[in-house]
Amino acid sequence: MVLEIQNVSKNFGGIHALKNVSFSLKEGEIYGLIGPNGAGKTTMFNLITNIFEVSSGEIIFNNDNITGLKPHKITDKGICRTYQNIRLFSQMSALKNVMVGGHTRSSSGVFSSVFRTKAQRNEEAQLYEKAEELLELVGLLELKDTLAENLAYGQQRRLEIARALASNPKLLLLDEPAAGMNEKETDSLYDLIKLIQSKGITVLIIEHDMPLVMKLCDRITVLNFGEKLAEGTPIEIQNNEAVIEAYLGKEEEEEIA
Amino acid sequence: MLDFINPYYLQIGSFILINILLAISVYVPLSSGQLSLGSAGFMAVGAYTSALLTINFDLPIYIGVLAGACVAGILGIVIGIPSLRLTGVYLAIATLGLGEVIRVIFVNWDSVTKGSIGLTGVPQIGRELLTLVRGFGFQPDMIGLKNNQFVYLMVFLLLFIIVIATLLFFVRQQNSRVGRSFSSIQMDEKAAESMGINIMYFKVLAFAQGAFLAGLAGALFAHVMGYISPSDFSYHRAVEILIFTVFGGSEVIIGSIFGAVFLTLMPEVLRFVSEYRYIIYGIMLVILMAVRPQGILDIHLLGRFKGIKGSKGGAR
Repeated sequence: MVLEIQNVSKNFGGIHALKNVSFSLKEGEIYGLIGPNGAGKTTMFNLITNIFEVSSGEIIFNNDNITGLKPHKITDKGICRTYQNIRLFSQMSALKNVMVGGHTRSSSGVFSSVFRTKAQRNEEAQLYEKAEELLELVGLLELKDTLAENLAYGQQRRLEIARALASNPKLLLLDEPAAGMNEKETDSLYDLIKLIQSKGITVLIIEHDMPLVMKLCDRITVLNFGEKLAEGTPIEIQNNEAVIEAYLGKEEEEEIA
Repeated sequence: MLDFINPYYLQIGSFILINILLAISVYVPLSSGQLSLGSAGFMAVGAYTSALLTINFDLPIYIGVLAGACVAGILGIVIGIPSLRLTGVYLAIATLGLGEVIRVIFVNWDSVTKGSIGLTGVPQIGRELLTLVRGFGFQPDMIGLKNNQFVYLMVFLLLFIIVIATLLFFVRQQNSRVGRSFSSIQMDEKAAESMGINIMYFKVLAFAQGAFLAGLAGALFAHVMGYISPSDFSYHRAVEILIFTVFGGSEVIIGSIFGAVFLTLMPEVLRFVSEYRYIIYGIMLVILMAVRPQGILDIHLLGRFKGIKGSKGGAR
């Protein structure tokens, strides 16, 4: 198992954002996390990357307990994420954004940078090359010198993925990557995520675009009001009574009864 | 002969160079998103440390200056760590307060600092250099210079070398992994952290570098002036230093340099309008902040100068 979420809960004051949620990801799979708004999906991402501390439960990454580790250490271990509301370094070029993503895979400090040691120059060249490679992968190579804030919305989303990939993650967390994308962009996003999977990277994805999720994911967990409602393959989820109920509501007579 | 080497101009030149160091001492923490108004305080620490060491223990000036900068840098680390909790204007207020605390300590620590009277007889770089070269049998008039011309020229050149070295240091740092980390923290701290950047380390690093630089500038100031008192490092100085950076353009290192040069020259150039000059200076600042809050120089403007896309604008 790449990632094991074990009985994780999160309370904000008296509100239970997540209650005893458990699931685990196998190496190389694309795993979907779905549920209505406010179900606790993004909270789960924030717990995995320890932006919020878990109230109880444990998060195991490659048999390594990462619960409570500093966020930058978690990235160092090999988990990287994107954000639902794009958080690029807006005044940096696309290329530099991706180079920042390579931070944990490089080590130059102040003195090697100022004296331009051979090791530092090699490292910079490698970071640059890797960044160009990743920009090509997400189809933004021609825009490498454009400031991130000047990119179109769909391009920004893809740039965020490239930036996350620059950290060489074993597990990639994508928070609504298709939000605001048109059909064509969504199709190319599908191809991109499949390509990422083919490179041996495990993907955990939050997404509201159901056709995309059903087509893309190997397995899915459904959250509702902070609790796990169901887990299974896309077919199983589509036929699950509880899931249909959560998304569409109960039949009217039942509600009266 | 060589009359154009005018001590008055050279002295203004020296002040400009010291002010460039001070402006960069604001720019560096700001490049990692920390607005520090503590430069005057750190400057005082550097100045007093170096002055006291050279006066009381007869240490050579260069050791005093280095010690002054290091003590200020270490104080920067000590202050920087608890200040991590503060951002934006709260950090500015806290560091401004710090500067005042430091000044008040120097005012009241009579037995060591002579209080508000200040320290006189601080060894002067120019004179020491003159003594040094005379030791080698060199006389300024051998190259047609008067003694005081030589002294001011040497001070100017020495400061010039220090400023160039400092600029080289920070430009190179800015275009490296460290500089990218600073910029990313400035633009989005949370995103930077989730890219694996150790926020605490890099913020304290930037803050301490700023403090070191202000300490260095303070120590050099002491040895150029030969006299320091707490009023040299007051609240007015802190604001003046901030304005260099903000006026010139706080997004790029060249902005700080421009601001320091322009605003040091301005009162001198405006001497012909005598008592109105600070009014003109003030009005200029108000207009600039209203029209161009990011300062005169920014990446877009620099990009246009260079005829390339904005992203390569030197410092970012």
